Amino acid sequence: MKLRKYFRRLPALIAALLFAAAGARAQTIHLPSHEKVVLKNGLTVLLLEKHGVPLVSLTAILKTGSAADPAGQEGLASVTADLLRKGTKKRTAQQFATELDSIGGAIGTATDADATNISAEFLTKDLAQGLDLFADALLHPIFPQNEVDKLLAQDLDGVRGSKDDPQSVLATYYQGYLFGGHPYGRPEGGNEVSLKKIHRDAIVKFYETNFTPGNTILAVAGDFQTPDMKKKLEDAFGGWPAKSVAPVVIPIQPPVRGKRLLLVDKPDSTQTYFAFGNVGIAEKDPDRVAVEVVNTVFGERFTSMLNEALRVESGLTYGVSSTFESRKAPGPFEILSFTKNQTTTQAIDMALQVLARLHKDGLTPDQLASAKSYIKGQFPPSIETSAQLAARIAYDEFAGLDDNEINQLEARVDAVTPEIARQVIQKHFPLENLVFVVIGNASAIGPAVEKYADKRDARAIGDPGFWPPPTAQK
Amino acid sequence: MRLTTVGFCARMRMMSIVSMKKKWLRYAALWFLGVFFAATTETRAQEYPVVTRTLKNGMRVLVQTDHSIPNVALYIFYRIGSRNERPGTTGLSHFFEHMMFNGAKKYGPGELDKVMEAQGGSNNAYTTQNVTVYQDWFPRSELPLIFDIEADRIRDLNFDPQKIQSEREVVAAERRFRTDNSDSGLLDEQLWATAFLAHTYQWPVLGWMSDIEHWSIEDLKHHFEMGYSPNNATMVVVGDASSEEIFQLCEKYLEPIPSHAPPPPVTTLEPEQLGERRLVVRKRAELPLLEIAYHVPQTNSPDFYALNILRTVMSQGESSRMYQRLVDHDQIALDVSSSMGPAFDPTVAIIVAQPRQGVDPQACEKAIYEELERLKNEPIADQELEKARNIRLVEFYHQMETISGRANTIGTYEVFFGDYAKLSSAAKNYAAVTKDDVQRVAKTYFGANNRTVATLIPDEAPKAKP
Repeated sequence: MKLRKYFRRLPALIAALLFAAAGARAQTIHLPSHEKVVLKNGLTVLLLEKHGVPLVSLTAILKTGSAADPAGQEGLASVTADLLRKGTKKRTAQQFATELDSIGGAIGTATDADATNISAEFLTKDLAQGLDLFADALLHPIFPQNEVDKLLAQDLDGVRGSKDDPQSVLATYYQGYLFGGHPYGRPEGGNEVSLKKIHRDAIVKFYETNFTPGNTILAVAGDFQTPDMKKKLEDAFGGWPAKSVAPVVIPIQPPVRGKRLLLVDKPDSTQTYFAFGNVGIAEKDPDRVAVEVVNTVFGERFTSMLNEALRVESGLTYGVSSTFESRKAPGPFEILSFTKNQTTTQAIDMALQVLARLHKDGLTPDQLASAKSYIKGQFPPSIETSAQLAARIAYDEFAGLDDNEINQLEARVDAVTPEIARQVIQKHFPLENLVFVVIGNASAIGPAVEKYADKRDARAIGDPGFWPPPTAQK
Repeated sequence: MRLTTVGFCARMRMMSIVSMKKKWLRYAALWFLGVFFAATTETRAQEYPVVTRTLKNGMRVLVQTDHSIPNVALYIFYRIGSRNERPGTTGLSHFFEHMMFNGAKKYGPGELDKVMEAQGGSNNAYTTQNVTVYQDWFPRSELPLIFDIEADRIRDLNFDPQKIQSEREVVAAERRFRTDNSDSGLLDEQLWATAFLAHTYQWPVLGWMSDIEHWSIEDLKHHFEMGYSPNNATMVVVGDASSEEIFQLCEKYLEPIPSHAPPPPVTTLEPEQLGERRLVVRKRAELPLLEIAYHVPQTNSPDFYALNILRTVMSQGESSRMYQRLVDHDQIALDVSSSMGPAFDPTVAIIVAQPRQGVDPQACEKAIYEELERLKNEPIADQELEKARNIRLVEFYHQMETISGRANTIGTYEVFFGDYAKLSSAAKNYAAVTKDDVQRVAKTYFGANNRTVATLIPDEAPKAKP
């Protein structure tokens, strides 16, 4: 559950990585050089040496994520990934865990709509054993029935438990309400109904269909010598049989027209958690850099317009942010915050006013200059560790981005003018068409939030699923 | 940022005794949780020497130069936290931390953040029971600006009544977010309040809500005088800067600031616990929750290392004893973890289990006690000891991978062990822990009379299971 929670942030993190720019001083930040090899079976391998700390980090990106979950079996991709290490041809789940812990190793998985990410980290001295474990999980899982049952039962409780913490489920309700039946509306980890409909044969089929070398990018970064590592990877993954996979095609969902509001009742809550926005932009949208620069001013950092208004000047909240999620197809844009019950409409009204002010006033040259410095100055620590670098080069390869994403971003950030900012505000920041999700004590806040939309829906947080309600799904 | 998962299960526990100023989206990066997971072999990070100096006003300065990225992490540790507070003004250290961003003489309300971010920098801060720590991350070109800002607020902090009021609301919102609407935050608060009868660890870092509502400007001024003397501070700078230039900046900006008396010592010692204490929180919830606290010595105690090895064997990783028993075999819990934060005074080690829905937390309790008895009655296996050391080693390297992680680790060792150089001997100290030590600390500290048991019980019957 924890990982899934983090992964929800991943698109934002990746967006920050991607569209934050190069170094504080001109041309000082470059992606370290790295090599790419494609094995005969189609596996793309990326290698980046980074010495200094005796660790090796691996990231495998499977180009299939929760968008490939069959309707009604939401969570299948995620469950499959989590079961990789729960029993293989060579090791029981317990043997696997003991061996992994014995070398202080870590293997984690994370699934989002577009992709499945399997990452690992080992001490250099334990690399041989670590690679063997990693390859074993990826290539030879056997999905024992008892482990399948156990994980599904745990995930089910995990979903229930997550509803005790509205912050952790706000984005799930929001993307469901925004995208409806579209693949981006699915809860990546499944829901209380869908998890009960996932069976071992579906998991095995999902694995066999999608876990192939041609559908995988493997990046390794850290303390190794490239020629030696190439040979080790060839030995470990060269025998993975090639098999073609039909690529996942994500339909483009146009922004929602008009205004809609979903009220999720949590009767014991003393504060209201809210999200609103609309469909945003795709990661490769030519406006992405300009949008990220504008969003830095608007809602990304501490001195953003939103945080200045809702926190610094009024004390209505502890934090507020806005994010354009980075996805293959246009993903969600959302403004997120929370406030005590009594100030619910005051806070939402204020966030809407800030949005209106952005449209009316655009950005001043000073605001733009500040955002550019901030993005450039904060970038270097985002590619500091081998784990960050492995994730970065794997993701770039997956997204079809080259090294210039980093090496030329400084220039691209600097190229954003007030006029360009004005254009992307008009084009990409919603104003009249908005989707709202509000989680809180409905009897206390329900009547007040009705004013935000004529079309309204309501649920209790304890009701199974998120949105759409599972019973309404085909 | 790391996508891989390691046994940082303690994170959720610690949140309730640690509060950070801002960026709620970023709070997961609590570096110091891992600080004490030190190494069993010599660390390459020590290739970068640490250069130290004590300024004339008593401020300690530690510098580690590393040109890997063109950035600098600057941390200032003040030895003041909620343990220095009194009933009526609980949470004041944390509130004060917020006020340190709300205007001084040169940089007025809001200006600190605006100027820093406009020059490519960012900042944050955290408060614990023991310390208040300020963090700046910035391009190396901005060193003079950062020193100017830090000196301004240490020397000439200003208290604007309007800012006090709005910041009070922010802290109340933070408390509602982290504690009042968080099952784990709420239970954790009650656990500490029950485990400590005398010592000031008994109240929450965030403060009781009624205290948050009543702090006065005089309280803030008093707190400033008490805690913010240069001789009560340790500054750590790691990154693309030489010690010479750092010391020059110190001479110019910080050394002229006069020092005064540090906070009075906290003399209260928690009396020995003479029997189990239990508490129950009933509230609407999907899942129950269980926390068990055992009194243990302060961080600089010799048993520190054996206790950490014991905790790793117990609850770190999917092959750990309690995970295997509660999560994997009995299937009565979703997760089990343990934590033991850095502390100047005797503190508690906490075991947390997340029971499955509908499971009586006492079933988890029973399994945990049985596992503890095994640890007391039989020595752990050689392989378990080796495994625990390896887990510590990897976590140590994780902290040392970034300039930010190193600034926090170096500072934490300096402050809690009295000497940053203990970083390198930590390796030896972990290697010296024997199976007998592990068994001995299990027997010494994990007895029934020494524990406080907190359970959260959902106040509505859980829905029928499928």
